[in-house]
Amino acid sequence: MNAVTVITKPDLSGKRLAFALAEDRIGHYPEFRAYFTRLFNLDQVGLAAPGFVQAPSGLAYALVFIGRSGEPFPSGVEIYAVVDALEPLDDGTLDSDLWALLTWMIEGVGAPWTRQDLEETGRLYRIPAAPPSGR
Amino acid sequence: MTHDLLQLVPEIREQWPYAARYARVNGWRMHYVDAGKGDAVLLLHGNPTWGFLYRDVIGPLVRSGRRVIVPDMIGFGLSEKPAREQAHTLDGHIANLVSLVRQLGLMRVTAVCHDWGGPTGLSLAMSNPDRVRALVVMSTWAWPRPPAEFHTRLFPWRMMHAPLVGPYLLGRHNALARRGIYLSVVDREKFRRAAQPAYDTALPDAEARLLTWVWPRWIPLDDSAPALARFTWLEQELAQSKLPAMIIWGREDEVFDAATFAGRFKTLLPHAEGPHLVTGRHFLQEDSGAEIAELIRSFLDRLDRNEAE
Repeated sequence: MNAVTVITKPDLSGKRLAFALAEDRIGHYPEFRAYFTRLFNLDQVGLAAPGFVQAPSGLAYALVFIGRSGEPFPSGVEIYAVVDALEPLDDGTLDSDLWALLTWMIEGVGAPWTRQDLEETGRLYRIPAAPPSGR
Repeated sequence: MTHDLLQLVPEIREQWPYAARYARVNGWRMHYVDAGKGDAVLLLHGNPTWGFLYRDVIGPLVRSGRRVIVPDMIGFGLSEKPAREQAHTLDGHIANLVSLVRQLGLMRVTAVCHDWGGPTGLSLAMSNPDRVRALVVMSTWAWPRPPAEFHTRLFPWRMMHAPLVGPYLLGRHNALARRGIYLSVVDREKFRRAAQPAYDTALPDAEARLLTWVWPRWIPLDDSAPALARFTWLEQELAQSKLPAMIIWGREDEVFDAATFAGRFKTLLPHAEGPHLVTGRHFLQEDSGAEIAELIRSFLDRLDRNEAE
């Protein structure tokens, strides 16, 4: 169960966007750009609004897409956690949520990219959020 | 800041007694070691290491009468670490080295090239042949694609630096410096004890690790790759080079395996000495630094004698 879902824009009053992760080259492998474009209708939406998802912790995350002159849109993406304005972000929660977001992305991009390869890579590099083998 | 951190780690300090020197190269602040007197030996590292990789090579070469220059690539070690991905291009990194060599007025340089120190250092040599005396290559490559079958596989290579996965694994978790080097040495316990902190400490924060996932993306995998033309040029230039050369390789290197890679360098540079096989995986200096130093020393001594005759 991946438990990442696309949601509508949450109520941002009393919240802040806490920077979590950035990718300058979402199109390094073009299928990743295509996935986000398809999922968030970016050909129509463009820079008008971020995409929002909800992660397993219940936190919402904003996906802010970046454009760069002369390159296909989006060229990059920044991920922000939507948190209470004056509260610190729990790093363990963030890390687990980011792993879930990556898993969700890889499954969405699809073959030849597989969840199994991501998890094996995570285990190889001893990433705490990667599930143990044979789960 | 990074240098201050290194001062606090005694096991690093004991192995790295060198004064920090800095040069402004191509707009960036580059850290380098400059030790000894004589013809220059330029020791070039790759991803995700820094000059520390050559700690067992520097002393013997200095004692044998060489001037040893060990730069930290911009983005690694004690050099400036640009925060923008766009700051890192293969040509830009080559230009960084060209700038350092010209500022120091180096002539008769022996370029010792490992990993990304190969494409950058060999390109420096091919574009400045009047300044270069000899080449030494170790666990690197200099042709368009693919470097190895390993680099075409999803697990773990392409997955490791995939969009968002790269910044998470290699940035947030420092996977290449923390685990990747460890997996690519032979004596892992010795590495963990003596060297791991030096590589961890030099890349303290996620943003400082940017080049660890940007470099893998510069390895050409198809005809649209931005570095394809530079590698094509480099291979053509090397094939015509008559510079004295030596090939040193890790016997246990399973990523840049000796049979394929050292063999291809031998085809490109048929006059090269070697390949000399030493104990080592990709980061062979960690296991065989003293032996590598002795190979380079004896190679340069032979060049001296040949020139004197």
